[in-house]
Amino acid sequence: MKIKRLSALVLAGMMVFSLSACGGSGDSGTSASGEDTSVQDIVDRGVMKVGVKADVPKFSLQDTATGEYVGFEDDLAYEIAGEIFGVTADEAKEQGLVEFQAVNAKTRGPLVENGELDCVIATFTITDERKETYNFSPAYYTDAVGILVNADSGIASIEDLDGKIIGVAQSSTSQEEFNKYIEENGIDVAPSFQEFATYPELAQALAAKQIDAFSVDRAILEGYRNDSNMFLDVRYGFQDYGVCSAKEKTGLAELISTKIQTMLDNGEITALLEKHDISVE
Amino acid sequence: MLKGLFDLKRWTALIEVIPENYIPGFLMTLRTALAGLLLALILGVIFGLMSTSHNKILRAISRVYVEFFQNTPLALQVVFYYSCLPILLGGTGFRMPKFILGMMGVGIYHGAYISEVIRTGIEAVPRGQSEAAQSQGFSYLQTMAWIIFPQTLKIILPPLANQALNLVKNTSALALVAGMDLMYYTDSWATSRGYFAQAYFFSALLYFIMCYPLARLARYLEIKAIRQPVAKASLRKEIEEAVS
Repeated sequence: MKIKRLSALVLAGMMVFSLSACGGSGDSGTSASGEDTSVQDIVDRGVMKVGVKADVPKFSLQDTATGEYVGFEDDLAYEIAGEIFGVTADEAKEQGLVEFQAVNAKTRGPLVENGELDCVIATFTITDERKETYNFSPAYYTDAVGILVNADSGIASIEDLDGKIIGVAQSSTSQEEFNKYIEENGIDVAPSFQEFATYPELAQALAAKQIDAFSVDRAILEGYRNDSNMFLDVRYGFQDYGVCSAKEKTGLAELISTKIQTMLDNGEITALLEKHDISVE
Repeated sequence: MLKGLFDLKRWTALIEVIPENYIPGFLMTLRTALAGLLLALILGVIFGLMSTSHNKILRAISRVYVEFFQNTPLALQVVFYYSCLPILLGGTGFRMPKFILGMMGVGIYHGAYISEVIRTGIEAVPRGQSEAAQSQGFSYLQTMAWIIFPQTLKIILPPLANQALNLVKNTSALALVAGMDLMYYTDSWATSRGYFAQAYFFSALLYFIMCYPLARLARYLEIKAIRQPVAKASLRKEIEEAVS
């Protein structure tokens, strides 16, 4: 029995150790003296690691043939990298100073927190709750929540959603926004919500009619519009997308925020949005 | 993340969501596992007996069932039941309750494994036993019921307990299709709040609470089976193979 207990203790110890091991790199942004070295770390490494979406048209889409990421958010990453390395965005792109990694709603948070990524530019909505855990830049885009339904479902307005199932993405704010909207407008509907890990799963569930509606941010929803489904004509839940970085990497967060603010002020963000044919609300 | 692990605020947040998230998820997982286990046992016994019968067609049917479900991933099967089955049934928007979906998923999948456990269990009883029974005038069913089955039971109980254990864990495949089970609620809260360490740590604890007694039971049955050999000493080897 004693040996068993001992081995259980050893096992428990190993578990804690492995947990701390995966969290270890998260502290690299702070040197022993307590000074933030997060920006210098990226310069020393020679490449900035950025998490982006791979499946959001116009914002960030991975070209399946070349593996290259194309979109507004990817260009934003080059702008920030340019700022860090002291070059222009085009030079940053040419020199390959940004290393992209595809993220989804589930992986982006932990990847930033454990230091695997320097920042995430992935249609990440800024919320007060999230601000407690991460650093966010000023909003670079304001999106609205959209609702996509099957064209043959007979659902024509938000009032028709009573008793229906609305599919939303894990870690998204779509459900809260929906409830807020119906409450503010006194609409008496009570749908139920089901969460899915990825957008393709949601699109699949809608096509198989296992859910009645697919509700995420409009930017994302655009990518799943086809002949057999349609948008409901409502606009609500305006939400701000920001560049997310780890809480303790204050130096990096400050640099990113300053850069985004500058780009907002001098109209570069608007120009970049127009370049990618994204409508400004 | 380590800092987050010992952050009291995050643990308090976890405690607050236990009643609305973890309890319903835990109950759903438990219900699905129990119903799934029942289905798996029924299917396992039917197909296990079929695979030891003298009828070639029955044996073939059983083989196809076992090989098909053992050699495709459970996750794929569950997604198939969820997304493809309704389309095959006419695409009229038929929706299976998540509980039935989960029961079918783990029940049919583990039924294939249990069928194999039962087949090897029956085959492990020496042929001389059924020959002796027949010479005493026992019919096939009587032989099975009075001579073979009691001996088989001792052999198959440990691997059966192992199957039950795996079945509980495998209910987590339901989370893929918004199954409202423990894994679903864990993912949901973890991703929306960002307190991953707390969310998954506590979920693991709940799964552990369900599985650990089954693991102990399997070990206990295993020891008991070895201590009480059935017809022949070579059984010990059989058991060890079945368990591993």
